[in-house]
Amino acid sequence: MSNDKEQWGSRIGVIMAVAGSAVGLGNFLRFPGKAAENGGGAFMIPYFIALLLVGIPLCWAEWAMGRYGGRHGFNSAPGIFSVLWRNPLSKYLGALALLIPMAVYFYYIVIEAWCLGYAWNYLTGSLMLGKNPGAYSDFFTTFTGSAEDATLFSSTIQPALIFIAITFLVNFIVIYRGLSGGIEKFCNIAIPMMAVCAVCVLVRVLTLPANPNAPDQTVINGLGYMWNPDLTFLTKPDTWLAAAGQIFFTLSVGFGVIINYASYVKPKKDIALSGLTATSVNEFFEVCLAGTITIPAAFVFLGATTLATFTGSPFSLGFKALPNVFAEMPGGQIFGFLWFFMLFLAAITSSLSMLQPVMAFFEEGLGLKRRGSTLLMFVITLMGTGFVMYYSKNLNALDAIDFWAGELFIVVLALVQAVIYGWVFGIKLGQEELDSGAELKIPRFVQFVIKFVSPTFLIWILYATLTATISEGPAKGSLKIVERLRDPIQLAGFSIVMGSLLFLWVMVFFAGQRWKREGRA
Amino acid sequence: MTTAGWIFMSVSVLSVLSLVSFCVSKVLLRAPTE
Repeated sequence: MSNDKEQWGSRIGVIMAVAGSAVGLGNFLRFPGKAAENGGGAFMIPYFIALLLVGIPLCWAEWAMGRYGGRHGFNSAPGIFSVLWRNPLSKYLGALALLIPMAVYFYYIVIEAWCLGYAWNYLTGSLMLGKNPGAYSDFFTTFTGSAEDATLFSSTIQPALIFIAITFLVNFIVIYRGLSGGIEKFCNIAIPMMAVCAVCVLVRVLTLPANPNAPDQTVINGLGYMWNPDLTFLTKPDTWLAAAGQIFFTLSVGFGVIINYASYVKPKKDIALSGLTATSVNEFFEVCLAGTITIPAAFVFLGATTLATFTGSPFSLGFKALPNVFAEMPGGQIFGFLWFFMLFLAAITSSLSMLQPVMAFFEEGLGLKRRGSTLLMFVITLMGTGFVMYYSKNLNALDAIDFWAGELFIVVLALVQAVIYGWVFGIKLGQEELDSGAELKIPRFVQFVIKFVSPTFLIWILYATLTATISEGPAKGSLKIVERLRDPIQLAGFSIVMGSLLFLWVMVFFAGQRWKREGRA
Repeated sequence: MTTAGWIFMSVSVLSVLSLVSFCVSKVLLRAPTE
């Protein structure tokens, strides 16, 4: 069955869209911290190994499965899974690829709004608070409402609410316009703009003079903080786990996005080169830009000791440490604006990609038109984001949904996809799909990597996540995952994620009935 | 920054730049056939 629905307007468009989905806050805030804390330059050894053995192969597998599903008339993961694996249960597994982008959107949009808010506050000068670390920490706490629950819903309208409203509006206006007219057009502008902003900040950072109060705090030493290798970290399993995890998250593998985006690629068009290109664009932003901006800039103004207190948390690094940097940097106001505006663009190209897979399902599974799917998605995400914003104390609700959807289920989905591709759909069909229209010959051994190596890696990551224990404090030795559920907000977040899955399973049931009536399943 | 740091940074950055240049150039060369 041919797919006569939406399709990408151009090859560059789909590459920009997939790259936009992958390039996000994690590139600029998570990667530098992970590398600096796990051996610096030495981290790149397990990082590149994981890229070659897990990242790129699984990306290719998703592209192949998505385009195969698209050729058979499906764009949503439940539909795609139903043709990959002709079993009544397969479409329910596909619901995971709807749950993850939907649940992650609930909190990702909040962080996206922070970026927009920070960019605006730099533009207006409100975030130029001088050399006063406490002021930036207080600003973050007030802006995000992280001191107490419900502070964003007080009697006076909080600025964060305005930025979240604007962010929601922009997301839904773009997504309503559809694939080619909305996402593709937006990404074709946003990605180059991101690169320009990042390069401007990079040039500023690399030309920074040494800190006059601490002559050792130079850009070169800052690069050293990030890149000097400590090879002893290679003997620690946690380093390899951190690298594999970073590759995994940075490429948006197991997110439900690539499989949806690839389903709109026309038959007999290349996906091998497109997939590798999108991946390489993501790596460019991560290794070449983020790897040479974030840590060196922070090092010059904060020094190693203070910087070390921030690298463990992407939020701390991005929203508390860096404003200190821009306060002291010559031209800091404009560079602060460029930096946070770039982060906003990185975030919005990702958040758009989280909306599309679910809306595609609402349209092909429930028969909704674009207006209906947009409205339904708007209502659902408003409720989910409302939960995140209301229970803002210590960003607890955000953290809860991030763990269950963005850390745990994402690994489960990637494992499901690797097993379906490698053991059910089959690597022979997978190779044929990748070879169809290919402008890059993918070596046969990659199929064996997807079938045997990637699932092994993923089982290891899943096992490590489930069995991680608390290392200090009164709950030392307890399973982190169990301790999480003792907290009421964490339990509520878990319930919301599981409730969302249940809701999607019910929708998938009705979609299955519809597809049967239409003779599609 | 140590010599090893320079090496690790250079190899990493240049590897990624090579990969992205290779891919983008192949894509752009093919673009007129879309």
